[in-house]
Amino acid sequence: MPSPALLVAVPLIVAALLGALRKLIPRWVADLAAVLTAAGNLAIACWWMAHALHRTQVYWFGGWFPRGRMALGIGFTMDGYGCGLAALAALLTTLALIFSWKHFESAGGHFHPLMLVFLAAMSGFAVSGDIFNLFVFFELMSTAAFALCGLKTQEPAPLAGAFNFAVTNSVAAFLMLTGIALLYSATGALNLAQIGLALEGRHDRLVIAAFAFLTTGFLVKAAEFPFHFWLPDAHSVSPTPVCVLFSGIMVQLGLFGAMRVYATVFQGCFAGTGVPWLFVAIGAVTALWGGMMCFAEHHLKRLLAFSTISHTGLMTLAFGVWTKAALAGLFVYLVAHGLVKAGLFFCAGILLHRFETMSEPALFGKGRSLRWTAPLWFLGGLGLAAAPGFALWAGETHVTDGAPWAEAIFFIAGAMTGAAVLRVGLRVFAGLGDAGPVDRSAKVDEKPETTDAGRRLSPVLYAPAVVCVGGCMALAFWKGTMRVAEAAAASFMDFRGYAHMVYAGAIVVQQPVAPHDLLTRGIISAVLRALAAVAVALWAVLHLRVPRELRWPSHLEGPMRPVRELQSGHPGDYVAWLTLGCAVVGVAALWLGL
Amino acid sequence: MTLPADYPYFIAAWILLCGLYGIVRSRHLVHMVISLTVVQSSTYVLLLAIGFRQGGYAPVFAGLHTGVKVVDPIVQALMLTDVVVETTVVALLLAMVVKAHEKSGTTSPDDLRFLRG
Amino acid sequence: MKRRHRLLLFAFGAVGIAFVYCAGALNMPAWGQYRGPYGDAIARLAVYQRHATDTVNAVTYDYRGFDTLGEEFILFSAVTGVMLLLRPEKQRAGEKKNQEGGNPASFRDRAALSETVQVFTTAIFGFSLMFGIYMATHGQLTPGGGFQGGVLLAAAPMLLYIAENTEAFQRIVSHPLVEFFEGAGAAGYALIGIAALTMGAAFLTNVIPLGMTGDVFSSGTIAAISACVGVEVAAGFTLIVYGYLREILSRAAREGQ
Repeated sequence: MPSPALLVAVPLIVAALLGALRKLIPRWVADLAAVLTAAGNLAIACWWMAHALHRTQVYWFGGWFPRGRMALGIGFTMDGYGCGLAALAALLTTLALIFSWKHFESAGGHFHPLMLVFLAAMSGFAVSGDIFNLFVFFELMSTAAFALCGLKTQEPAPLAGAFNFAVTNSVAAFLMLTGIALLYSATGALNLAQIGLALEGRHDRLVIAAFAFLTTGFLVKAAEFPFHFWLPDAHSVSPTPVCVLFSGIMVQLGLFGAMRVYATVFQGCFAGTGVPWLFVAIGAVTALWGGMMCFAEHHLKRLLAFSTISHTGLMTLAFGVWTKAALAGLFVYLVAHGLVKAGLFFCAGILLHRFETMSEPALFGKGRSLRWTAPLWFLGGLGLAAAPGFALWAGETHVTDGAPWAEAIFFIAGAMTGAAVLRVGLRVFAGLGDAGPVDRSAKVDEKPETTDAGRRLSPVLYAPAVVCVGGCMALAFWKGTMRVAEAAAASFMDFRGYAHMVYAGAIVVQQPVAPHDLLTRGIISAVLRALAAVAVALWAVLHLRVPRELRWPSHLEGPMRPVRELQSGHPGDYVAWLTLGCAVVGVAALWLGL
Repeated sequence: MTLPADYPYFIAAWILLCGLYGIVRSRHLVHMVISLTVVQSSTYVLLLAIGFRQGGYAPVFAGLHTGVKVVDPIVQALMLTDVVVETTVVALLLAMVVKAHEKSGTTSPDDLRFLRG
Repeated sequence: MKRRHRLLLFAFGAVGIAFVYCAGALNMPAWGQYRGPYGDAIARLAVYQRHATDTVNAVTYDYRGFDTLGEEFILFSAVTGVMLLLRPEKQRAGEKKNQEGGNPASFRDRAALSETVQVFTTAIFGFSLMFGIYMATHGQLTPGGGFQGGVLLAAAPMLLYIAENTEAFQRIVSHPLVEFFEGAGAAGYALIGIAALTMGAAFLTNVIPLGMTGDVFSSGTIAAISACVGVEVAAGFTLIVYGYLREILSRAAREGQ
């Protein structure tokens, strides 16, 4: 049985050694060591995923077992949900490191240690069962991410992006710590299960204030409206492998933090109140806002970043629905989105490697020579629209099964983000229509991040994208996907079982009922959504000669001045929005929860 | 004027808002970073206030009987972690500021807006 | 967004946050009446279980030692980040090579330094080193520990800089071993945890004899971890100083051209 501690300890040790010896070891050793470490993490996380799915377990660091109800030390709680996210983090890190093999600018050997620290932090965050430990891994994740974001120091834009990212996320961490302190004053405990038991369903003003600060902290990481402003800035300047981790897993881990704390600490407090609707509302607004901004964007990485915002909004909505089916759907949606988004970022990375720009107008028609990247990109676009054959579709069907009203939001957000990606594909790889409007953000010039003089395309650049897009399709066709997700969701929601597991060791979760076949019912809307995405993309590209009122895709793609000015690039603005958002979350929680 | 009995809690909130105000209206990046440390200071005050016990000793039992009333050692350990987090984040942010100034010649957040729209 | 709008937005948010926070804080236990139970349990148990008289350090390096591992790597990644951000860039063609070799004295304020400062800072140098080592090794007994000791150790070379012994200062902070110690200290902490794993215990379990309470060589892994942290923090802060110094030097050299 591999110790869960290895998930964190091994990447940290390898990172420290790579850092200590960075001037002595050749590049290929660093590459190999990093890839092997990440792959080892993947193996351990998968082992635990398989074993913890029906048998969640607790691991006490330092051998400090609880005394009665008192948790003395820090515990990892290995359950299906957490281990699944740790596995996804390890998979994406492995692929990102393979993508950066040899050619990628390593910034004097600092790149690999930071990536491994980032991986260790994400793994620890996914399975930690202690609220302060969550904060520590949140900060560790942030610190490594800030540094990785500013990797390209030759121009001011990456520094501005990294600075905005660092300021907003640090404020978020401090709000989170305020929430932790309030909970500690109410319960005198830091273990999630112990806090949950100590609160005993109490939902007075103190608990609600703690909830508001903690949730705001996590939602900033999850890039929910109006906390999302940092994310496009950080993405448009980050190197491709870092973008993959940001969009594929880090943002979703922010949401997962809110979910974990809600499931353990606040679930009993807010049962029967309207507080989950807060997440539904935030998620819905974020999904629509992100979808609209995504379609208006012409910088490829920024466009994908807005799509991440939109999809994480959908996941937040699913979280707010808070049924077993919705959480199972959310799990599948999260993994599938991570894979598709990673695949799209890898494709964008190939374009950046080959043509040294990320601007849609500048790339117009250039991609015709890339025979392998084009199909991957188009498949990714259809995947984002949750077309049949992609696992996002299975996840979405399970979420909307219990909440038919959410169907409309899933439809619009999926179609808009899918259409935006397909529009880029049609212009870049097929050369259809014209180059499209030029906007300011598309001019953020990307310096090449690779050091290959010939700009040749080697298989290590394609392989990760193929694995990602292929993996997402394979998940849709594998029979076990929903079964695993339902088991993970069932044990994730069950706080009594969780607390029992923390204090009594391991328990066996009862077998969930066989998942009912929803896919045939959802296939009509999925096909319609994919068609809508294609239609909107073609509509925007071809400038159809239709009456002025019907040219809305072209208008939506146009400048949209007042709305886009909100994304101002000024950290002060972002913190002002953050303050307002925190206040709105708090007041709404007081209103709904008391 | 007498202070309310729980005034350290409200001092923490005041410091938090002061720091946020500093970040929002900042015209200089270094000022902004320092404002961030002000935000963080509020968490020190809050944590220590929560663990405080009237008349309690420091939880160091060198020459102290183990039965005496002491303040909470946990929040002090949490605060130590918090301090390290602050120093490191500040070091990182200031490095960004130095580099941004070198590349663009400005330290005003108003002039560093390369990422708009 | 205009400045006025931003402040207006913030005003609404601040009022809301103050409202939510005060609503919550009024429900908190009265100040000075900490109710436990976590802190009290640790304060009661630490001396018996861990033979450490400073319970704060028992929490930091043992009961919640896994947090501190994360915290130490926060420092590690921040140091790596500073080194990365302030790394010397590739020289463009036509520019003079190696701006690193500039003389630190050349950019310093050349106002004469009083001999008193020079003598005393040099004298404190040794004291600072001793005090740092003392702090790092006595954390389990009295307030202190690896972080505090490490910071004091890192401050010693700064004293040389103040005393204008810039050559010695630069020789120390730019030494390649500093970077090695930084990584080795960080890895050492995690390896102490792994050592317990190889003996079949949980990660970071104490596997060293506890010794006499109140003795310097007591409390098992707490002292060992504290020493590793001391090395890492001292080296880490030295590296940060070096990173900034190198940046200032290359800038001074550029402006001098």
